[in-house]
Amino acid sequence: MLTVEPAPSASPTPKRPIYESSTQFRNWRFSPEQLSQLRSTLNASAVAVIRNTLENEKPGSSSVVSFLTVEEEHLLVKLYVTKITQLCGLFRFPEEVEATAITYLKRFYLKNTVMDWHPKNVMLTALFLATKTTNNPISLEAYTTHIPKTAPSDVLDLEFLVAQSLGFEFAVWHSHRALWGMILDMQNIPDCPSDTKPIYESALAHVRASRLTDAELVYTPSQIALAALSLAAPEVASQWSLSKSPSEPSSSLLSSETLHAVVETIKSLITSAGHPPHVEAVREVDRRLKLCKNPEKIVGSHAYLAKKAEEEKKAEAKRNKKASETSQAMKDGDPFGNELIKAPIGLVDYDDEDDD
Amino acid sequence: MANRAKVGGWLQGKTVRKGGVSSTNHTRPSTPQIQSTSSTVFGGGVKDASGRTSEYFSMDDQCPVCKSDRYLNPKLRLLVSSCYHKMCESCIDRLFTLGPAPCPICNKVLRKLAFTPQTFEDLGVEKEVAIRRRIAKEFNKRRDDFPDLRSYNDYLEEVEDITFNLIYEIDIAKTEARINAYRAENAALIELNVQREEAYAQALKEHEEAERREREMRAMELRREEEEEREEREKGRREIIDKLETSDKNAAKVVAKSRANALKRSSARSASTTVLQSNAKLLRSRAAQSTAIPDAPHVPLQDDWYAYEDKYDMRTGGYHDFMSEAVRKDREGIMRGGGYRVEEAWERALRSAVAALDLPPLSGLDPPAFSIDAEGDIVMASA
Repeated sequence: MLTVEPAPSASPTPKRPIYESSTQFRNWRFSPEQLSQLRSTLNASAVAVIRNTLENEKPGSSSVVSFLTVEEEHLLVKLYVTKITQLCGLFRFPEEVEATAITYLKRFYLKNTVMDWHPKNVMLTALFLATKTTNNPISLEAYTTHIPKTAPSDVLDLEFLVAQSLGFEFAVWHSHRALWGMILDMQNIPDCPSDTKPIYESALAHVRASRLTDAELVYTPSQIALAALSLAAPEVASQWSLSKSPSEPSSSLLSSETLHAVVETIKSLITSAGHPPHVEAVREVDRRLKLCKNPEKIVGSHAYLAKKAEEEKKAEAKRNKKASETSQAMKDGDPFGNELIKAPIGLVDYDDEDDD
Repeated sequence: MANRAKVGGWLQGKTVRKGGVSSTNHTRPSTPQIQSTSSTVFGGGVKDASGRTSEYFSMDDQCPVCKSDRYLNPKLRLLVSSCYHKMCESCIDRLFTLGPAPCPICNKVLRKLAFTPQTFEDLGVEKEVAIRRRIAKEFNKRRDDFPDLRSYNDYLEEVEDITFNLIYEIDIAKTEARINAYRAENAALIELNVQREEAYAQALKEHEEAERREREMRAMELRREEEEEREEREKGRREIIDKLETSDKNAAKVVAKSRANALKRSSARSASTTVLQSNAKLLRSRAAQSTAIPDAPHVPLQDDWYAYEDKYDMRTGGYHDFMSEAVRKDREGIMRGGGYRVEEAWERALRSAVAALDLPPLSGLDPPAFSIDAEGDIVMASA
């Protein structure tokens, strides 16, 4: 038996919780206010861009178009979240694939709008991407042949865009796993019910309902799981959370009362928003979306071609600039050019023309 | 008729033996026989580990002196002179049988016995190997003959310098003088190192010999044991038959008793053999000990992340878990093939259940969660 020297007990920096190392904590955690502001900003700028394009094409044409509101966009995304669930049932994908794909879809629409990219194709791409990132791969042929009116290109064309919008951050902490852990850990509390399966099943239904809400963008997976458990078996949930409450109160963390309040908020969010939207309402939104979709994103339209030409021109100019810079550098004597200027790091680096 | 056959034999280039030196010398059929047209046995050449010389041989060989090639003379054998020029055996016989003569290519005076078989295709390599071997014979100092690493390195540098000069024939006279000076200075040490070298080789040989003897002994022991066992079995069988014949006891009982006896005997035997085996093992481990590297204790990766270890306790007896039932019931281990351990999955779930449970949600608008670039174009242009 080897003896390993114990780590120094009084380390100079206090250890940080491992959840805070995740991209989910760093980049995909919002307050409800931030979420609504982000969505309205996205909506407003998308409307401005499309209005501008329509005016360029045919002056005065934009006044008759009624653009989608933030709520309508959100409704459409929510419908396609339910579609992911249906597809996962069809393919018998595990829970993890479904949860991951739904997270990808929601995150994608925090960077893009429905008016630019229709959620039907984005949903297919997000699900296909999730099968790969969660190690449940399926061949593209098998995937597309089981979905009516879908070609492989529908899935693959958007794949890079989706991955890029996600910031290539594919790892997600899920609440269904936290729920499993709670069901296991319940066996350590004294009066645990002998059969935990019914509790698990009804709590899992609530976890699934929570995926239709914004809960995962605001709260941590364990909080959502606790809320779902509390909806299924309030007694057991409160006992379990009591056994986990910190012994000494800390200022930066939640005390057991505030945790209770958070759980209550999530519970009300799940019960109020955790059901699929009415198909009739969504159909109406979808019909209007056909009229106000960004023409630059519709292949073959006049605006699309114009945009393509403009991009081509830009790329050409960039290439010429680069070539002249290189030749200048060769003349100066340093074949590798001068020192690089570090680009400022934006939210997502969209300036990536080398990949098309 | 017989005469013609002889002539044909000569024409076909069959071995013409002179004096019958090699006619009695039968070598094993597996060793490639060097076909020679000369009665002289040429020594030298580069020997491999087993002490054999493998000769370089090619279909395109041609004697630079008489221009005869393998097509004309299938037994063509080219040898290398001390000035590193190739010529065939018949040329050597022709030119050097009557004593030392100048090389037809470079005019250096050569002797017949200084010709060696060729080992490497490139004669430059042949020469370098020969020179290095000669140098190593005398420049045989070791690291522990020097007070520090620096002087040892200087010595190695000097040796390499001399070797290089000899190979590329730079300042031969001066270099030879340097070698002579060195030899005169270090005669005692050279002799000592030669003896050390020999002692080491001797020790190695003895070790090999001992190992071989031990292997043989073990094999003999095994054979003897097998023999004994067989005899004993035979004896036991005969005993049973005798007993069954003579005594009027229950047959099954008699058989069982003698079986038990046999078992006892065989276990005693195996105990004695293990002693022998462990002896051999001890010997080997002693030999290995001299090269063993001390095993440093493994220190796992340390980081400053807190993984909620104090928030949960793994139940020692496992969990009643319907989710992982299939995996745990899987006796053949098909589901655990990739190294899946249900305990690790449990631990991950438990950690996930308590992870960031007490992390307060964000509220309000600061800091802004996003930024919009200069053109106000959040949406990506194209994929």
